[in-house]
Amino acid sequence: MSKRITIDPITRIEGHLRIDVEVENYAVSNAWASCTMWRGIETILRDRDPRDAWMFTQRFCGVCTTVHAMASVRAVEDALRLPVPANAQYIRNLVLIAHALHDHIVHFYQLSALDWVDILQIPKADPAAASKLAEGLSPWTRNSRNELKAAQDKVKAVVASGQLGIFQNGYWGHPAMRLSPEVNLLAFTHYVQALEYQRKALQVVGMLGGKTPHIQNLVVGGVANAIDLDSQSALGMDKLETIKTLLDEVVQFINEVYLIDVCAVAAMYPEWFKIGSGVTNYLAVPDLPLDSNAAAYDLPGGVIMRGDIGGVQGFKTASDEVFRESVTEDVAHSYYEGEKPLHPWKGETEPQFTEWDGEKKYSWVKSPRYKGQPMQVGPLSQVLVGYAQGHPLTRKYADLALGQVSAIAKVKATPALMHSTLGRHAARAIRAAMLGELAQKHWQLLVDNIAKGDLTVHNEPVFPWGEIEGVGTHEAPRGTLSHWIVIKGGKIKNYQAVVPSTWNASPRDESGAHGPYEASLLHTPLARPEEPLEVLRTVHSFDPCMACACHTFDPSGRQIARVKVL
Amino acid sequence: MKKPKITIGGIGSVLLGDDGVGPFVAGMLEAGCRFDEGVIVADLGTPGLDLVAHLSGIDALILIDSVANGDPPGTVTLYRKEDILRNGPSPVRMDPHSPALSESLLIAELAGEGPEEILLIGITGERYDVGAGLTAAARQAAATAVAEVLAELDRLNISYTKLQTESFSAWWKPLAEALPVSSEA
Repeated sequence: MSKRITIDPITRIEGHLRIDVEVENYAVSNAWASCTMWRGIETILRDRDPRDAWMFTQRFCGVCTTVHAMASVRAVEDALRLPVPANAQYIRNLVLIAHALHDHIVHFYQLSALDWVDILQIPKADPAAASKLAEGLSPWTRNSRNELKAAQDKVKAVVASGQLGIFQNGYWGHPAMRLSPEVNLLAFTHYVQALEYQRKALQVVGMLGGKTPHIQNLVVGGVANAIDLDSQSALGMDKLETIKTLLDEVVQFINEVYLIDVCAVAAMYPEWFKIGSGVTNYLAVPDLPLDSNAAAYDLPGGVIMRGDIGGVQGFKTASDEVFRESVTEDVAHSYYEGEKPLHPWKGETEPQFTEWDGEKKYSWVKSPRYKGQPMQVGPLSQVLVGYAQGHPLTRKYADLALGQVSAIAKVKATPALMHSTLGRHAARAIRAAMLGELAQKHWQLLVDNIAKGDLTVHNEPVFPWGEIEGVGTHEAPRGTLSHWIVIKGGKIKNYQAVVPSTWNASPRDESGAHGPYEASLLHTPLARPEEPLEVLRTVHSFDPCMACACHTFDPSGRQIARVKVL
Repeated sequence: MKKPKITIGGIGSVLLGDDGVGPFVAGMLEAGCRFDEGVIVADLGTPGLDLVAHLSGIDALILIDSVANGDPPGTVTLYRKEDILRNGPSPVRMDPHSPALSESLLIAELAGEGPEEILLIGITGERYDVGAGLTAAARQAAATAVAEVLAELDRLNISYTKLQTESFSAWWKPLAEALPVSSEA
C-alpha cells in the first residue's frame, strides 16, 4: 500500500514550494512539485519604459536581485541590437560573479549542509583529531585545534541551553546521517566561517553596484559607474584594489574549504551519486561576454539530451537563434488559462486557480520546455555542457573534484556519477571554483582596458517606432534565466521571465512528462517516511528559490510549515 | 566612546502592494533625514537568509516590515528580539530562500555577530496585490513608523537632522498614479 506525504510550507508567509510524494516499500513511487504562490509579476511592466524595467525585475526575487536586473537590460539591448562597451561588460561580469560566489557559498553551508551534517554528533568530536584530518585534506590555515574547539563549544552551549535555536528542526540522529563526529565538526566550523566569506563577496557587489541587495549601477547600454583611476569616490585604483583583495580571499575560501568539503562529504555518502538523477536533458547558455559585441564568452552554453554527453550541441551566443526558437511554456498542469504551449514573446499569464489536483492543475509554476522537452538547469547543466565540449576551465576543476572524491572514497569517480543529487552539489562547487578564477581574470581585463585609456561605460539606446523583440539571458547561480521582451513605440508590450526554478520546479506538461524536481525524486529510498530527509536532500540539491513573492512577518506563533503523512 | 553602528532596514517586496511599506518607510527616512556616519538606511527587499550579511558588526537593528497579526490594517506594532525569536525557525524549509527573519537572527547570534538591540516595527497590511502600490492605511501607518524609528534613535542616543523640504515619491508606484489624471477622471 502506498502512502502520500506532503511537505508544504502552508502560508504565503514562509515558502512557496510544496512537494507531494507517494511512498511504496520505503521508496518514492510518484512525485509532484507545486508552487503555492502566484507569479504574475511581469504584468507590472506593461506600458512602462523599457529603460526602467530592470529596476522592477530586480524585485522579482529578494535573493536573486542582480540576476533579474542583468537579464532585463540584456533583453532590451538584444531587441535594440545595442552593443555594450567592454568596461561595462567587465564590471557587469564582476558583479555577476561576486553575486554567484556569495550565493553558492550560502547554498552549501547555510541552506543544505545540515541535510548531511548531524549537529548533535559534534559534541562527541575530538578537535585535535578533526584538525589532523583537515590538515591532510587542505592547506586552509583556519582548521587549527583551537578554531575547531571554539566552534564545538558554540554547539555545546546551544545543546546545553536546551533550546536548539537555529538547529531545533533538523532530522538529527536520522539513520541516513553518517558522518563521523570529526567530519561533522569540520563542516560546522566552516558553516560559521562561510558567513564571513559570503559577506566579502557581497561587499564586492555593493562596491561595484552602489548598493546591495539592489544594485544601482545598471543602465540599458552599459553601466553608470564613473571610472577615474585617481579618484576615491569614482571607480578608481583604491576601490579596485580593495575589490581584488576581497575576491582573492573569497577565492581562497572556495578552493581550500568549499570545494574540499563538498568532495569530502560526497565521498562519505557515495550511494547519493546514484540517487536523484531524474531529467538528464541539460541546458545552459553562454555567459561572461569578453567584448562589446558579445562575440566571445568565458563560459560555454549548449544542450545535452537524454544524458548523451557526446551529442552535446553548443550555443554560439547568449541569445542563440536555436535557443530563441526552441523555448515554450506549457500550462497543462498550471493554474493558468490556455491550451497550447506558447513562446515567451507570445506568452500569457491569465490566472485560473483550481484546487490542488495531481491529475489536473496543481502549480502556479508554468512548465518551460525546450523543443518540447523538460530540461534541467543549474550548475550541473553548466558543468556537463562545458565538460562535454572540452572547455578547459570546466575540465580543470571537474577533474580536480572527481580526483579528490576518488582519493577520499578510494573508488574511481567518473563524470557519469554527476547525474545525481551529489553531482549537483559537486557541480556547484566546481562552478564556484571556475567563477573564482574568472573573477580574477575579469578584474585584470577591466584594469588593463582602463589603463589603455578607454573610459567608456555606456552606449545610448534609441527606440524605433515599430515593434521589436529581444531576449536577455544570464547563466545565473540556479541556471538559465531568460527575460523576453516585446517593445512597441518605446513602451513594453509584453514581458515574460523564464526563471531557473521554473525549469526545475515545473509540473508535468501536456504529455505527462515530469519536471526535473519530480523526476529526480522517483525511486528515492526513505529510511523513515515520516522524516523525509532524503526528499529534502534531493530537492535542496537544486537550490530551489521561490522567494520571488510576498514576504510578511508573522509573529502570531502558529506553525508555518508542516509535514503531513496520509 | 565609539559611535554605535545601526542599520535601519525596510523589508518587503515593493511589487506587492502593502508588502512594500517597509521599503517605503526607508525611502521616507532617506529623503527626510540626514544621519550620522554609523547609521545605514537600506531598502533590504526580501532577503531571506541573505539578511544575515546585514546583521553582522552592528550594535542595533531597526526593521520595518508588513505583518500579518490580525489587527486592523495600518496598525503599527513594535516587536523586540524575544518576540521575533519566540517561534523559532520554521519547522521545514523546502525552499531555502524563503523569508527568514528569525533564522537570520539565530544564525548571526550563533556566529556571535548579532546586534544587541533589535526593534521590528510591524505594520499590519491590507492588500498585497501585484503592482497595486500602498493602500491608504499603509501610507498613513508609514508616517507613524517613521516617528517610531526616530523615537528609537532618540532612545539609543543617536543624533540625526530632520530636513524640511525633502519628500519621497516611490519609483515603483502604479503607472496610473504616475501619469497625469485624465480629464474624464
